Amino acid sequence: MAPSSTLKSPASGKVKRSGHSRKLFLKILRVLVLTIACLAVLIPLAYLVINSLKLQADMYTTPPIIIPRRITFEHFQTAFGNPKTLRYLSNSLIVASVTTAVTVIVSTLCAYGLARLGLRARWLALIIFVFLFIRFYPRITTVIPYFLVMRDFSLLDTVWAIIIGHLGITIPFVTWLMLIVFQDLPREVEEAAMVDGAGPLQRFWRVALPMAAPGVASAAILTAFLSWNEFLIASSVAKRQAQTLSIAVAGFVTDKGIQWGPMAATAVIMIVPMILFALFVQRYLVRGITLGAVKG
Amino acid sequence: MQLSRSTIMRLLAGAVVVAMLAGCAAVAPAAPAAAPASEGAAAAPSVEGAEITVDYMQSGTYDKAAEALKADFESKTGAKVEIVTAPWDVLNQNNITDLTTGTGAYDVMSGEFWIATVFDKMLPLDDYVTRDNYGSEFIDGIWAPGPSNFYDGKRIGVPYSADAYGIWYNTEVFEQCGVEANWETWDEYIAVLDTLKTCLEGTDVAPMVHYFGQIEQPAAIFLGMYDGYLVDKDGKYGLDREKAVAALNKMQSLLDYNPEGVLGFDFNAGNAVFLNGKAATMVGWPSFIRADADNAEKSQVVGKWAMANFPGPGFPMVSAWNMFISKDSANPDAAWEWIKAYANPENGTKWMAEYGIGSPFKATYQDPALLEQFAHFYPAQAANLNKAKSLPWTFAAFEAFFRNEGDFHQGKVTAEEMLDNVQKEWDEIEVPGALVQLAELQGLTQK
Amino acid sequence: MTVANQPAPRHRRKWVHDWPWMVAFVVPALFIVVIVQGYPLLFSAYLSTQDWILTNSPSSEGFVGFGNFVKVAQNEVFQRAVRNSIIITGSAIVVEMLLGTGLAYLASGSSWPMRIVRTILILPLVIAPVAAGTLWRMMLNSQMGLTNYLLSFVGVKGPDWLGNADWAVVSVIIVDVWMATPFVFLVVSAGLTGIPFELHESASLDGATRWQSFLRIDIPLLAPLLLLTLIFRMLESLLSLDSIYTLTLGGPGYATFTMTYYIYTLGLRSFNLGLAAAASWLFMAFAAAALGFVFWLQQRWQTSQ
Repeated sequence: MAPSSTLKSPASGKVKRSGHSRKLFLKILRVLVLTIACLAVLIPLAYLVINSLKLQADMYTTPPIIIPRRITFEHFQTAFGNPKTLRYLSNSLIVASVTTAVTVIVSTLCAYGLARLGLRARWLALIIFVFLFIRFYPRITTVIPYFLVMRDFSLLDTVWAIIIGHLGITIPFVTWLMLIVFQDLPREVEEAAMVDGAGPLQRFWRVALPMAAPGVASAAILTAFLSWNEFLIASSVAKRQAQTLSIAVAGFVTDKGIQWGPMAATAVIMIVPMILFALFVQRYLVRGITLGAVKG
Repeated sequence: MQLSRSTIMRLLAGAVVVAMLAGCAAVAPAAPAAAPASEGAAAAPSVEGAEITVDYMQSGTYDKAAEALKADFESKTGAKVEIVTAPWDVLNQNNITDLTTGTGAYDVMSGEFWIATVFDKMLPLDDYVTRDNYGSEFIDGIWAPGPSNFYDGKRIGVPYSADAYGIWYNTEVFEQCGVEANWETWDEYIAVLDTLKTCLEGTDVAPMVHYFGQIEQPAAIFLGMYDGYLVDKDGKYGLDREKAVAALNKMQSLLDYNPEGVLGFDFNAGNAVFLNGKAATMVGWPSFIRADADNAEKSQVVGKWAMANFPGPGFPMVSAWNMFISKDSANPDAAWEWIKAYANPENGTKWMAEYGIGSPFKATYQDPALLEQFAHFYPAQAANLNKAKSLPWTFAAFEAFFRNEGDFHQGKVTAEEMLDNVQKEWDEIEVPGALVQLAELQGLTQK
Repeated sequence: MTVANQPAPRHRRKWVHDWPWMVAFVVPALFIVVIVQGYPLLFSAYLSTQDWILTNSPSSEGFVGFGNFVKVAQNEVFQRAVRNSIIITGSAIVVEMLLGTGLAYLASGSSWPMRIVRTILILPLVIAPVAAGTLWRMMLNSQMGLTNYLLSFVGVKGPDWLGNADWAVVSVIIVDVWMATPFVFLVVSAGLTGIPFELHESASLDGATRWQSFLRIDIPLLAPLLLLTLIFRMLESLLSLDSIYTLTLGGPGYATFTMTYYIYTLGLRSFNLGLAAAASWLFMAFAAAALGFVFWLQQRWQTSQ
């Protein structure tokens, strides 16, 4: 999937500009804005992590405790001590990874096919429209019919019921996203490959896909995150064996208030695999610059 | 130890309640004695090898208790139990979907009057109850229709938790301000709040706290202040307008005694205010706070708080989780054995201490050792439980009420306008038969 | 370049012999989406014409035609919920689009600080919406929350975020922005990496500033992607429920009671399948109109180029 290194473009597009102070000012402004944005993201997250280490009594105080004097790992112990947590975790991992893999493969192929099929505009638009219509129909209303379908296929309480449900949400989006990406790609490269005798699969795999890598990377990240955190579909078809972490987190909102410690601990546990995944996929987000090199 | 006047009063009140409860027990029909418990057990069919699924709310209390019971139950009966837990909404949703589609995935279901629309799909339990001479150990008010769920005059639910809306207070603050928690009505309670407000002027202690930001909760205060009907002559939802307006305005006046920003307080925030000693009184669910308030790690009011009487003329709302057996259950006998194993005085007392589950059993509130240890809590709580009533509202009816009430708290509408808006929504709602019966049995129907 | 973009006839001839392959590429996705997901959708279309409350009867109690639609559309609570939804979503997506695009532009490049910044900025997507809602509920508590405490350091007395009906709306918007800006950021970032450097280089040789080349080169090139993101965010935000549910429970009163919340109470609280389906189809009529408008816009934009 990684583009070959010979296609790498110059490291950066340095721009000559007059007005040294103005350039400095813009640079500072950029750093400032990005810092504020990062803080806005990180402060609530850090607070979540801090809460996962706080004693129950320190959760709600006036003023709030930012740096706790006493910390505890009991919430993590509670979370990991429960044998169900590990089952939830493995269910979540299966659901998110299968959903992501299937979505990315199926949707990328579909988008490529649609982009190269030479369909008339209105047919293409119709297909995408049907996809999106199904995507955005409120799931709340299809929960009961979906429950019955899954029951009749004996898929109730399996990860497959959740995965199939998620695919209906993720495939339409990724297909549309990748369709735009593929339509943006220059045909010349593929045509050159065609002249060299490359078949459709090779052209897709060797030529189109590497150029579309940033799109695939963001699609994969978005799909994995969505599937990892989805609650409604998962909770309606998974009652016991197939429950996922997102259901576990919701379970800490009880009729007696929120069990803050265990919830924060579980939420923190949920974050870690996704961050690792995002870091792993990140590198493909900048490689798409091959496109410019080819065109030039 | 020198006994203060209020302690003596509390002990006296406790003794009265205990005597009352004991009296009730004595008057309870002695007929089932003809079939001794051991004989009843022998008559019960074996449930060896049966597999049942039971569901509880994922709360870290009821579900934990079930897990703790599981191994012992399985080895004693030879049945296999699967415990399913879900968040509140999902639990109700699962139960209703399961019952209405005839899926039959759960043998024992947990629920309250919120799922009254499917009460007709629950198995009547009267035969089991008579056979095993079960039920005499419950607090009478909790074993009665309302807290116990009935359909068509037949028992379908066995309560396994009991809590009633209550008011508790900080005894230290009360002593400092020279007031006593001896109110019978909300007007008397508000008079006490007035005294407290003057006394606490300039401190960071508020006379009262409630979780107004938990938007469905203030309705329970309204019900305490309102003594009219909830279901009208035609079997539709309605309210006695004059009484309702008075109650709403009285309720609004309570906001003056709360800490700043209280309209945004959820359970956790409200509880924290009282636990940190920053409120003289609190209105809410006692079971949410009892265990924490007595725990020095979580509370600064250990030994400095006590339950009080829930004032009239309305009633304290009850929360009583029931266990039901689904009509679709393939193993009702095993399901009943589980219910018996789960809901009994021994567990009730133990789990109240361990998990904070409000016990529905008399014995818990009569145990001399516990009475002494929890003199600040048990007697008043038992008295409140005994007069508590169950809401005959569906969730849609409840939601119409508390959302419009929220608009009223925000000052967007007057009490009269709010009632008009509520009534407009209620007119669209059909009252389930089980809830009409429930209202009648509790005297909440228009005469 | 857009959904409506077509290879020129000359190209079409060259590619046309591949069509069996391309059809084979398209079919799996089509199957999963249309066949597997289509059934519940068709079923709900049927439901929208039925008088059926699941808790009253195990099967429909009769055909009511458009009765459910009329009932929902005339319902005052629904109208209010739609108004709330428009205010919340309308404000949230404007902020998200501007912020997401701006940040994607500022955080572009392959240097390591930018990689770290990009990873940080997508983190809110990692939090389960239920947890995010409760987290912010704690943060926004007027007395014990972190937000007002931090504001007090800069001399601002923070409002009663969740207790006041108007501020509660602002709170819901803030949380939506916090949770969803990373989506815009991520999609636009991916789009930016696809823009050839040469275009910028030649523009800068012509004396254009970075800002000018952003407006003249990047924005037009990204337009289809931005439209996609906008429409997705709009519909997603209208559909979001988990975070509002845990943040405000739709309150105080009806202040943050949205259309999706309304559908939820009808469908999964009251089990009124007919009304819930009708409300959903009303929403879809709107969604279809919005999607149609975007497609039309793209087509127009395409031909005008």
